Amino acid sequence: MERVIKHPVLKTDLNKKQVNFLFNGEKFTGLEDEPVSSALFANNIKVFSIHEVGDAPQGIFCANGQCSHCTLIINGVPLKSCITPLKEGMDVRTLVHLPELPKSDEGLRNFEIKEMKCDILVVGGGPSGLTSAIELAKLGFEIILVDDKEKLGGKLLLQTHKFFGSIEDCYAGTRGIDIADILDSEIRSFPNVRIFTNSSVAAVYKDKKAGLFIDYKNYVIAEFEGLIVSAGAREKNLIFPGNDLPGVYGAGAFQTLVNRDLIKASGRVFIVGSGNVGLIAAYHALQAGISAVGIAEILKEVSGYKVHGDKIKRMGVPIYLNHTILTAEGNGKVERITIAEVDENFNPLLETAKTFEVDTLLIAVGLSSIDEFFNTAVQFGFKVVKAGDADEIAEASSAMFGGRIAGLNMAKMLGKEIEIDEEFYKKAEILKSRPGKVYAEPVTELTDNYTPILHCHQEIPCNPCISVCPSGAIKLQDALNSIMDLPYFDGDCTRCGQCIAVCPGLAISVAKKLYGEFAEVILPHEFIPNFSANEFITLTDTEGNYLEKGEVMKINYSRKYKTYMITLKVSIQNATRIAGIRIQDEDRTKPLPEAVYNYVPDNAIVCRCERITVKQVVDFIKANDIRDANQLKQIRVGMGACGSRTCSVMLPRVFSAAGINWYEVAQNTKRPLSIEIPMCVLANENQ
Amino acid sequence: MKTFDVIIIGAGSIGVPMSFYLAKKGLKVAVLEKLASEGRGQNRAAIGGIRATHSDPAKIKICQISIELLKRMKEEFGKEIDWITGGYLFPVYDERTEKALKKLLIKQKEFNLNIDWIDAEKVDKLVPGINKTELRGGTFSPEDGSASPLKVAGAYLSLARNEGAEFYFNEEVISFETENSKIISVTTSKDKYSGGIIINAAGGDAREIGLLTGVNIPVIPDSHEAGITEPVKPFFKPMVVDIRPDTQSANYYFYQNKEGQVVFCITPKPPIVGKDTDSTSEFLPLVIKRMLNLYPRLRNLRVRRTWRGLYPMTPDGFPIVGFTKEIENLFLAAGMCGQGFMLGPGLGLITSEIIADGNRRYDFITEQLTLYRNFSGTEMLK
Repeated sequence: MERVIKHPVLKTDLNKKQVNFLFNGEKFTGLEDEPVSSALFANNIKVFSIHEVGDAPQGIFCANGQCSHCTLIINGVPLKSCITPLKEGMDVRTLVHLPELPKSDEGLRNFEIKEMKCDILVVGGGPSGLTSAIELAKLGFEIILVDDKEKLGGKLLLQTHKFFGSIEDCYAGTRGIDIADILDSEIRSFPNVRIFTNSSVAAVYKDKKAGLFIDYKNYVIAEFEGLIVSAGAREKNLIFPGNDLPGVYGAGAFQTLVNRDLIKASGRVFIVGSGNVGLIAAYHALQAGISAVGIAEILKEVSGYKVHGDKIKRMGVPIYLNHTILTAEGNGKVERITIAEVDENFNPLLETAKTFEVDTLLIAVGLSSIDEFFNTAVQFGFKVVKAGDADEIAEASSAMFGGRIAGLNMAKMLGKEIEIDEEFYKKAEILKSRPGKVYAEPVTELTDNYTPILHCHQEIPCNPCISVCPSGAIKLQDALNSIMDLPYFDGDCTRCGQCIAVCPGLAISVAKKLYGEFAEVILPHEFIPNFSANEFITLTDTEGNYLEKGEVMKINYSRKYKTYMITLKVSIQNATRIAGIRIQDEDRTKPLPEAVYNYVPDNAIVCRCERITVKQVVDFIKANDIRDANQLKQIRVGMGACGSRTCSVMLPRVFSAAGINWYEVAQNTKRPLSIEIPMCVLANENQ
Repeated sequence: MKTFDVIIIGAGSIGVPMSFYLAKKGLKVAVLEKLASEGRGQNRAAIGGIRATHSDPAKIKICQISIELLKRMKEEFGKEIDWITGGYLFPVYDERTEKALKKLLIKQKEFNLNIDWIDAEKVDKLVPGINKTELRGGTFSPEDGSASPLKVAGAYLSLARNEGAEFYFNEEVISFETENSKIISVTTSKDKYSGGIIINAAGGDAREIGLLTGVNIPVIPDSHEAGITEPVKPFFKPMVVDIRPDTQSANYYFYQNKEGQVVFCITPKPPIVGKDTDSTSEFLPLVIKRMLNLYPRLRNLRVRRTWRGLYPMTPDGFPIVGFTKEIENLFLAAGMCGQGFMLGPGLGLITSEIIADGNRRYDFITEQLTLYRNFSGTEMLK
């Protein structure tokens, strides 16, 4: 079984109830109520359907209920397997081409229009939705909060790492999963908040009502006065040949499979994109025992936080800068991928191609706001506020703080006389900041006293190390007068280890002279140690370069921060440069000796739902002088289940490939529903 | 100023096919459209049904021609428009409807329509699993069909361009200059054009365009709502039209298109007058209740998208076609009452013969659909 059975941070409950199910007539077991898709992944089944066009195999893509690539025939009915809980005795079948509608001909048993009313409808129970709802709940508003997952917290639930930001404003230093628990219990303490999980907002209508797809079983029309759109973001996709193979999917989908469902979704994974999402996906892979073979970044620098990137490099994950993905290839699934360096115009240099044998390729090239409901509501003249990623793509720390402001703004719109502290806006701006200037690493002198060494040299909005230091010896420089400033040490270290354990970047070590040629270094470690005292392990500098093998002296564990602290005996000359422990050996990440690939860029898929290639779209644009994205619907681009949500972010590039400036092109019209709903649900036929 | 033989206002269900047939006759044609592309107004809101099953000779004739043209589109021009000859079925559950449809049948047959009454068993064969309680049978016209409005508009656009028709998108007509009862120029938001004949094919905006020319065309749009499901394997063939009125709706209809998607539409009662095409929460429960009562097998089908479209209505439910008395070079092709998509190709061909050839064989159409009728009748199969 491909499950995560040991994890340094997540609880792995091995006693969940097992159920039997059939897949194409063969018996398998899974865990009760886990998504059918995850049960199949756990059984190493990754092809779910065969598309009509070219008999192409389809695997999981969004793992988020948004696309429909995971559709299977479940008990005779086509259903999205990623939002269908597994039950004993389920009959699951591969969907081949179009499904056949079951001959369910008995008369309509029940029809009901279900209605609800509230002051404020909150779309999405992630970090910003929860904090905005909490602010509004405190003020006494009647709130309906809808979230499409089983548990509240949104992407917080997938974050096993400690958060950046500041402790007082956004739980910095606490892991996402734990923040989700904190916010969940807070929101549930308000009797004026009705929470619907496993539920989607399907539409916002002109009559100030929303159509809710509740528990994926009922359709409820909710009337509201104000609307908070905190629906998060969707992952951007990329155009390259093989982008449609099962095994190519988003980093968010990967985190869902691995960190929520504890599925060992892959043996070896490669990542495209070095933003914080891509970086953290590599870290999540390693924690789950999956090889993170590499990260390709088209720009010349890591695009996420430097401390994040450095941390990943120290763990032994190579980051290939100035590289793009060329192809993903394999027989019906990803078996190998090829990357290549790019020239100054981002065109691949084929002679630099490198092929890696992996089973999974994660796309982490950015997010786009899910703000359609906001735009609709604005158009209808509703009282509406957007928050979190739905407003602007940023870290969850910023989303939590921004959510509070959004909640207060909504309260004002609904007539509450409150003032919002100007400081709030300043802080919100800082938390949203992109990473700033990078400074050279200063040399720290090794002494007989414990000294924290801060391997953190880029301005980012983060300061928990300052907050936890009991002697106040870690301080911020005052260049920017905000938490963007770099930290430095000045004072006495008590060797309490809190700074080591709290740092989200795992970027603090503590060192002192030991005796003779030796020094002592303490490093944080967020993996279950596969070494014990007196063993020698590989140590690196800040950016992951090999320094030496150091001897493990002691292994401690901070329960509060769920972080191991490894005390090592190292050489005095390296002591203050040692920043991390390598997790992966080099041979796990090596490319094949020679690149093996067949690069046919025309074959890249633009519209996944209907399997339309880039060549088909470009030819159609050229032949018909297209200036309106809606015209592409003639070749079915945008007509599929996802409602052009997946392909629309790629269209500017496609038009540009056809020689047309995107700004001349009329945009695709977005229409309800945002999620497909069976007619029996719209009728509330089943109670 | 650009000069043309014919200027068509509106690149929709009517204007685009018309531009092709006119250009094919060798006329120099321009089409002025305020939106960004062909069919972006109500054409794309049409669900795709094409029937000759009407209650009057003019529309029956026009749509018979449309069907012929669309049926041959692929073979003749190599354009895939997803045509299906699925027929139109009007299932009947009560005596009143049976009587009315049977009475109409006599008239329809007189106009050479291939349509007949079929019994309940045959209805069930055409729509397997349809609610048989009190099903009395229905009328079925096997030659009617459906096609993709998007693809039909796209196909005619490309055919028209090949014939030399010119399309000016994102240009709104703002004024007309007239002299001696003739329009001598048309000014848009971008440019100025002159044309021998001006055709008002402005759909939902026909009245406003009419007023700019000084001709009052009684076209007032109301909105209907439609939806489309996920695709599944074909399981029924005809367009099913239930004309029984309900408390909140008049008729509704649905069919399965070539992609396997079920497309459906309902007529609200009372009509929602105006040009607002934003969806409200009432539509889905309203239409789903009626569809599932009629055809429970649809229950597991997932609704993918919904939208509203305008029916540019005339007082009697019939279109307005022909030259005006006030302005001698102004031709009207307006007020299609929600049937522009099915009327468009036929009307385009007929208009080209009237304008280019001076053909009189369609006089019965322009006489029936003249602006100067008294609008006191009612179209039974609106």
